[in-house]
Amino acid sequence: MQNHNFTWDIFCKVVDNYGDIGVCWRLARQLADEYDADIRLWVDNLNTFAQLSPSIVTDADVQHLDGMEIHRWRADFPSLDAADVVIEAFACELPESYIEAMAERKTAPVWINLEYLSAEAWVDDSHLLASPHRNLPLKKHFFFPGFTPATGGLIRERDLLSVRSNFNESDADIFLGGLGTPPRDGAEIRVSLFCYDNPVLPELLQEWADGPDRIRVFVTPGAPARQVSDWLGEKLVPGTELCMNQLTLHAIPFLSQSGYDRLLWACDMNFVRGEDSFVRAQWAQRPFVWQIYPQAENAHLVKLKAFLTQYLQNFPDSETVKRFWYGWNGTGNLRASWRDFVAIWPSLELHTKVWVGQLDRTRNLADNLVRFVRGE
Amino acid sequence: MSVKLANNLQSGNVVILEGEPVVVIKAVINKSGRNQAVVKVKAKNLLTNRVSEVIFKSDDKLEGVMMEKKDCKYSYFSAPNHVFVDADFNEYEIDAETIADLEKYIVDGMEETCEVTFYEERPISVVLPKIIVREVEYTEPVVRGDTSGKISKTAVLKETKHELQVSAFVEIGDKIEIDTETGEFRKRLT
Repeated sequence: MQNHNFTWDIFCKVVDNYGDIGVCWRLARQLADEYDADIRLWVDNLNTFAQLSPSIVTDADVQHLDGMEIHRWRADFPSLDAADVVIEAFACELPESYIEAMAERKTAPVWINLEYLSAEAWVDDSHLLASPHRNLPLKKHFFFPGFTPATGGLIRERDLLSVRSNFNESDADIFLGGLGTPPRDGAEIRVSLFCYDNPVLPELLQEWADGPDRIRVFVTPGAPARQVSDWLGEKLVPGTELCMNQLTLHAIPFLSQSGYDRLLWACDMNFVRGEDSFVRAQWAQRPFVWQIYPQAENAHLVKLKAFLTQYLQNFPDSETVKRFWYGWNGTGNLRASWRDFVAIWPSLELHTKVWVGQLDRTRNLADNLVRFVRGE
Repeated sequence: MSVKLANNLQSGNVVILEGEPVVVIKAVINKSGRNQAVVKVKAKNLLTNRVSEVIFKSDDKLEGVMMEKKDCKYSYFSAPNHVFVDADFNEYEIDAETIADLEKYIVDGMEETCEVTFYEERPISVVLPKIIVREVEYTEPVVRGDTSGKISKTAVLKETKHELQVSAFVEIGDKIEIDTETGEFRKRLT
């Protein structure tokens, strides 16, 4: 399905971490590649963007990359014409002058607030509701990503699952070899670690070190590497390997989005966080553990429960998964639940493939967006 | 005009949506991500009576409307309007269709004080008192010695011909109390 020559302005404010730009960049690229969308991507923090895409020039006001215009979103926003389609990612506030430009168009643009991902039931009833502007003849629509056909769906590139299915053990060894890892040594469990600051991580690391299984952990930069280094009492440097009993730790460099996908595919189990890596871990079809973004008054635990309820429907060992996930998110006994969790890993992997099969039957987010823009 | 945060909307608030006044029927707050929230609002357009659902970020601002309300008495019907009058004998016409739900209780010379709501000096709604008194024009007569066990019967109100269920002992000419919110018979006045 083609874009029919709409122009798009996508606005991204980097609040914290990499999720804002991660999602926006992934979505923008899919719209440009698969729907021929004419995109201007506005980003307020090019330094964070450059971590994901090293081709980004951090002090350029305008640059071109992958067929798109990348604009540095500055406080002194320039005067320009608004696009046919305007996306404010994660409810960011658009510049006032841009909103006025939207109102000045002969035809009002399709204005979308791309909201946060959630599995809660209220999202189904809120998806695509209108939000009239206070005093301009403009109407925004709230677009909710989600896991059911009543939502906007998830980001999934057209060829993602076929590329994933063609990635085999040999490819995994080659990819991890490129990160300085030797080929799989017997019955070791390969784990990728991407998390926020997590007070229970030292407990899990100790369990891994003391446990019966050999575990090789690929530690991503930032909070994971820092916490692991603190636990070891020694700085974990990319390209090096440190061991403690049954546990081998590799610090890996910052990976591109496609590189991170391959890390998820190559590992046996993935620890992920937030929104973007959480979704990619599902498409990877490996057992995964999600550290949800913590919110005030434990609002995040409600969201965690909502996802687990959907994801684990019809899975006989759902309580084992829940115990470990809640432990990872700060409630319950993590060490005690790890061994039960790893024991069900083969059936959980099979269940995750079934889950992905179910998700694959719904339209992806970009497709739903384009259909909405076209009035379908 | 006052400004209302979406986060503070409650049932009964009147705000402006797309240039028209709506009354909030229900406002539900849901937490989205990163300690933000969205507010889903069910509202009724005061000019068209159309009910719709919209959504806002919790810190979105809306124009609140301070509606003027006045105590008035019913005066007369002059098609297509009902006319109400305030304490200063100012007359206010309101379209019969707008208060069609109330016409079953509106009679010439009714004594009850009604609350008339105004938007831009135009009357847009009327609220009757919760309890009103009306006369029964017709109902089946009470039959002495009736052992059928019937406890209610239909009565027809004088002038409006509105029908409602009343207790079996109510007779033609009786004055009865009616709850205007539920439409139910409350008691016979002695």
